[in-house]
Amino acid sequence: MARMTSELEPPINDDSELVSRTQGGDPSAFDQLVIRYTPRLYGLIYNMTSNHEDTNDLLQDVFAKAYRSICSFRGKSSFSTWMHSISVNMTINFLKKRKRRQHPSLNDPDSSIENDPDFIAATSQNDPLNAISIHELQNKLNAALSRLSHDHRAVVTMFDIQGIPHAEIAKILKISEGTVRSRLFYAHRQLQNSLHEFKNP
Amino acid sequence: MNIPNEPNAFAGDETMQRLLRLKRYEQPPEGYYEDFLSEFHHRQRAELLRPSLTTLLLERFASWAAEFRVPAIAYAGATALAVVASIGILQVNPAAPTGAPAAYAVSYSQTPFSQTPVTIQKMQPVSLRVNTQAEGDSTRLLPTAYLLQGRSANHESPLSF
Repeated sequence: MARMTSELEPPINDDSELVSRTQGGDPSAFDQLVIRYTPRLYGLIYNMTSNHEDTNDLLQDVFAKAYRSICSFRGKSSFSTWMHSISVNMTINFLKKRKRRQHPSLNDPDSSIENDPDFIAATSQNDPLNAISIHELQNKLNAALSRLSHDHRAVVTMFDIQGIPHAEIAKILKISEGTVRSRLFYAHRQLQNSLHEFKNP
Repeated sequence: MNIPNEPNAFAGDETMQRLLRLKRYEQPPEGYYEDFLSEFHHRQRAELLRPSLTTLLLERFASWAAEFRVPAIAYAGATALAVVASIGILQVNPAAPTGAPAAYAVSYSQTPFSQTPVTIQKMQPVSLRVNTQAEGDSTRLLPTAYLLQGRSANHESPLSF
């Protein structure tokens, strides 16, 4: 039956159509939105918390909140911006409440990272004397990111890791583009100090 | 510090950006995304079944009240407390008419058993003497009458014909 339904109803590419159907009382439309947005929102929250379990719980809460308040979504911004905004706000609130810094629960990098030229360059695999392992690099990156403030980390995560443009980040955080650039500038300067060992000569 | 006008101030040092991009390789365990939706549904259902805080508090109070047993000694204690409180109220209350009971108490305690009690002394005896005035007048044949506290009394019913 589910197969027939999927054959009759091909996946809808347009978010607004799925949002309208959800607002009209079709929960399966929201399921499609969950499937679509889980990977990118997972990446956003994970890179802000550095903890897989916290990310999972937060992501569940984010979708639950979105489902409860989807009737208030008027389409003034895109659904993607709206979802990212909910995710960032809930994650920052969570990090503020989490007074004690938790031990990070990092995911293992995909094995394809070993073929990435940036990884090869960073781990100095051509120079065995300075070579570091994947986990060493992962821990150093995480330590550097954890020294940033919540706001700076959110901007770095969205821009540098997820590749979201400045204008979109400004809409998500409800700040000006100038503020986004300013936060990025100071965050990068701080990261340079933390990761100076990887700086090219 | 002035921020450079170029779109990305960090562009000069791309090494950091390349390093940060490596974070994209950190992915959740295999099958996580596939299972996420079913876990979401499971949590949503659990949320629906979860009672609200008010309901939870009421249920807990009800169960506590149902299990609450009054020990037998509590009844005895409550009775003793009530007695003590009553005595205290009687002794402390100044508005109570203490004169009359005291007088009665004194009269009872000082009066010998042979003497008539005060309460009975205050009762007025009924006079049963024969109405001599009517008896002396021989010309008039009137039935025997008695005086009850100064009033004449007749043994004949006024309803007799």
